[in-house]
Amino acid sequence: MNELLAARSLTTLPVVTLGGDAVAQIKDTVFDAAAGRITGFTLSGRGLLSGPLKQSLPWSAVHALGPYAVMVRDALALEDTSAVVARREAQRGRVLHAKVLTDEGAEVGTVLDVIVESGTSGRVVGFRIAAGKALVQGSRRRRHRVYVPRGETVAVSGRALVIPADATRFVADDLPAFVARVGAFRAGREGTAP
Amino acid sequence: MMLFSEARGLPVLTLTEAEEVGALKSLTVDAVSGVVTHVRVRGHHSRKETVLAWGALHAIGPDAVLVRTTAEPAEVPPHHELPGLRILTETGEALGTVQDVAFEPGTGRVEAVVTAHGDLPADRLLGLGDYALVVRAA
Repeated sequence: MNELLAARSLTTLPVVTLGGDAVAQIKDTVFDAAAGRITGFTLSGRGLLSGPLKQSLPWSAVHALGPYAVMVRDALALEDTSAVVARREAQRGRVLHAKVLTDEGAEVGTVLDVIVESGTSGRVVGFRIAAGKALVQGSRRRRHRVYVPRGETVAVSGRALVIPADATRFVADDLPAFVARVGAFRAGREGTAP
Repeated sequence: MMLFSEARGLPVLTLTEAEEVGALKSLTVDAVSGVVTHVRVRGHHSRKETVLAWGALHAIGPDAVLVRTTAEPAEVPPHHELPGLRILTETGEALGTVQDVAFEPGTGRVEAVVTAHGDLPADRLLGLGDYALVVRAA
């Protein structure tokens, strides 16, 4: 299984060609409308004073996503931003601060971050959420941040995200523990499939 | 086999006049073909840097470098200093930095890149740029 990365931690990651040159750095990660996959990245220039770039990086041009760099074949991989981020699409794929509901109608928290798989899949495997009372019992004053796996069937609008109720049984407190839970969650789903 | 760290600083002399040109400063590597293509020589007095193609060298010995000609080649590729450069795999993982490079002084073929995590054989090199040395994932 590939390493898991938080989408927010990708910001400022360098975009490096296989020739070893850094051509840009990641500004933001763009997801598809169902928040199931990365569709691309918006970019900014490298260095302290360089602003956002007019070009963006579509996922199809990514060679591999790693914890230390986003690898691309060459600098020609960069495309016009409009090609990567259709504005409406980006709005719909926005999941940060969205409410998380189970398909049984219970609110479990709000999305803080999106967890993606490294490598070539670009798949979203889960979310880091600020857990509500319904999900994590305990002191009301302590705010819990937990990871929940993303189900295969999930509905997303700009405001809310619906996950399967059984996904809430696989929450984890930190990323290493979450890796094991995602595996268990997937194994369980495959086992119950007809 | 020789290391970049051993080659650096060797006096460079012309073969025909035995005149000292300067000291070997750095070696330029082409990562795709895995060979040393150029060497950079710094003059003793002028501090001027001279670029010599690998073909202009007669021999790299343990104590000196002998050159046939000191004429600069027409086209000089950009130089990326290998020792100290960060190493990335093609999957975006970090592998530390280059500590040294082992090469064959007779042919200029790079044999291995020495890192803190062990030696990387030359056939794993993919590209060398201003940001990193990119290698094939193991």
